[in-house]
Amino acid sequence: MIREFVALTRRELLRLGRNPGAILTSLLLPVLYLILFGQAFNLQNLGGGRVDPAYFLAAFRGAPSYFSYFAAGMTGFVSVTATLFIGANVIFDRLFGILKRTAATPAPAASIFGARLVAGSIQPIGLAFLVLGLSVLLGRLGLSGLEITASVSPLGAVEIVLAVVVLSAMFAALFLAIGFSLEQPQSYFAVVNTINLPVLLTSAALYPWGTMPPWFQSVASFNPITLAVDVLRENLFAGARSFYPYGPEVYLLGLLAWAGAMFVVAGLLARRALAPRR
Amino acid sequence: MLESAIRVAHLSKTYNGKVRAVEDVSFSVLPGEAFGFLGPNGAGKTTTVSMLTAGLIPTSGRAVVDGVDVFRDPAAIQQRIGIVFQESTADPDLTGRENLELAAALFRVPRAESRPRIASLLDRLQIGDAAHRLVKTYSGGMRRRLELAVGIIHAPRVLFLDEPTLGLDPQGRAGFWQYVRELRKDHGMTIFVTTHYLDEADAICERLAIIDHGRLVAMGTPSELKDRLGGDVVTVWTARSDAPVAAVLSAVPGVVSVTRQEEAYRVKAPRGESLIPLLVDACTRAGIGLTGVSLKRPSLDEVFLEFTGREFREDEGATATDRAVRIGQVREAFGRGRR
Ligand SMILES: Nc1ncnc2c1ncn2[C@@H]1O[C@H](COP(=O)(O)OP(=O)(O)OP(=O)(O)O)[C@@H](O)[C@H]1O
Ligand SMILES: [Mg+2]
Repeated sequence: MIREFVALTRRELLRLGRNPGAILTSLLLPVLYLILFGQAFNLQNLGGGRVDPAYFLAAFRGAPSYFSYFAAGMTGFVSVTATLFIGANVIFDRLFGILKRTAATPAPAASIFGARLVAGSIQPIGLAFLVLGLSVLLGRLGLSGLEITASVSPLGAVEIVLAVVVLSAMFAALFLAIGFSLEQPQSYFAVVNTINLPVLLTSAALYPWGTMPPWFQSVASFNPITLAVDVLRENLFAGARSFYPYGPEVYLLGLLAWAGAMFVVAGLLARRALAPRR
Repeated sequence: MLESAIRVAHLSKTYNGKVRAVEDVSFSVLPGEAFGFLGPNGAGKTTTVSMLTAGLIPTSGRAVVDGVDVFRDPAAIQQRIGIVFQESTADPDLTGRENLELAAALFRVPRAESRPRIASLLDRLQIGDAAHRLVKTYSGGMRRRLELAVGIIHAPRVLFLDEPTLGLDPQGRAGFWQYVRELRKDHGMTIFVTTHYLDEADAICERLAIIDHGRLVAMGTPSELKDRLGGDVVTVWTARSDAPVAAVLSAVPGVVSVTRQEEAYRVKAPRGESLIPLLVDACTRAGIGLTGVSLKRPSLDEVFLEFTGREFREDEGATATDRAVRIGQVREAFGRGRR
């Protein structure tokens, strides 16, 4: 089990490393969002200074600026955009016969699925922390940037890392589930495009919380991206806790529930795809 | 010691409830035997291989490979067998060596064994120089050789080869089979091979089965199968004459059949070489002038066409009943009386 898992993970990482183009492309989206969208979209400038800053503080749930609020949200955003392709890899591996070859070995399905899950989560996790780092750097350069106004406790840091890791793995599992259940690349992209926008647009990754209608807030609060980025926001911004009904550990638990369910579903679909055909 | 390395009983596969790809196939392969599985395109060879290698669940029937029921314990089967698929399955984004290392890990070959084995496989199959290149840069023949190496990395007890030499040049094929022969000699490996190169099947396999439209139509050693065609073909060319040549030739003891093609008469008989003097004698006595005589032993190609044939039927002069009788005999010989 372990040896197979390690060998298959190595295979995924070798392939990833041999495709620097894909890595650069995945960098493009968050970087453009931070240096273009984030710089231009300064919501707190609305009202030309006549609006009470406390209003914005509430709208951004304790974040000192829209950029700070949005930078935390972007970490969730990249967990989707950087895991998208791993399900497509399953489809192409099937077309190339690689999946058949792997399924013809005694390697347990769990190791085949697990290797793709772990390897597929590495890139989004890396990107999420890159987003945070770049956002802080932009602020230091005098541009709009992420201001971390709270002093993050060790526990808080652990929660942040967990939130990023679990969210990435959850989406990796989601896209693997789709990849293991479909055979044609075009059906994969059709399904993924149908899922992506609703998932991203029902989250609180980009919208200021305070401007959403209540019904939307209820929907958004169950979205896994919201759960993860709120763990970040509660920990990064001083006084943020007073704007949230629950502490970050509650959101983390919700996120774990999502991820657990997704692992089970995706694992079963992968096992079915690797079993002898009927 | 097991009685048979592969035992198949009444195996059938119907795809999607309509395509009857394999129908009621039964046979056994002895341990250490090389068994050829021949048949035209779409006959059901790959379907059979998939079922014997736990890749495809049969509609009905049973298969036992190396003493293990294939569908009771797929993982145990997979550990014991090697497969070279009809199509390429190596990872194009890995090097040849990385593909082999991955396969060794997935079959849990101890590292102390896998290292020298990979080195020797790369060397023997002449991939050595390309081992560090990505497989996507390989030529078709190099890929094929790598497929074989991947298929035997764990020293399987039974090796399934589905058209393994497709697209290899003659040297490549010779080298490939040379290596397979050594594997058999050194490890007593059982070989189950499908191929369209009948000369290969003739040279490698102790026994053959011919499948057509999903059903076994013949089985036996290559020479048994050739004998069933009625033996050798002696072609006799005569000078133009009104003499009843066919009748004269048919009257010679040992002749199975005579068919005419213009001035040439094809005489079928076992042991054609000893028949030639008798044929010449008979013609001389009947006053028929001969212009030439040739002897041809049937090749496996002719056996193949005979049992699955869609062509050369008139040429062979075999009527439909002729053929049905012969197939009936084959079936009887193997204790199956259906069609
Ligand atoms: N997945 C499938 N679904 C439906 N029909 C199939 C499937 N796979 C094979 N068949 C059909 O089953 C029959 C046998 O196919 P198979 O691949 O076993 O033939 P084969 O003897 O290996 O032929 P070839 O020499 O061309 O490789 C064919 O009629 C084929 O069209
Ligand atoms: Mg085939």
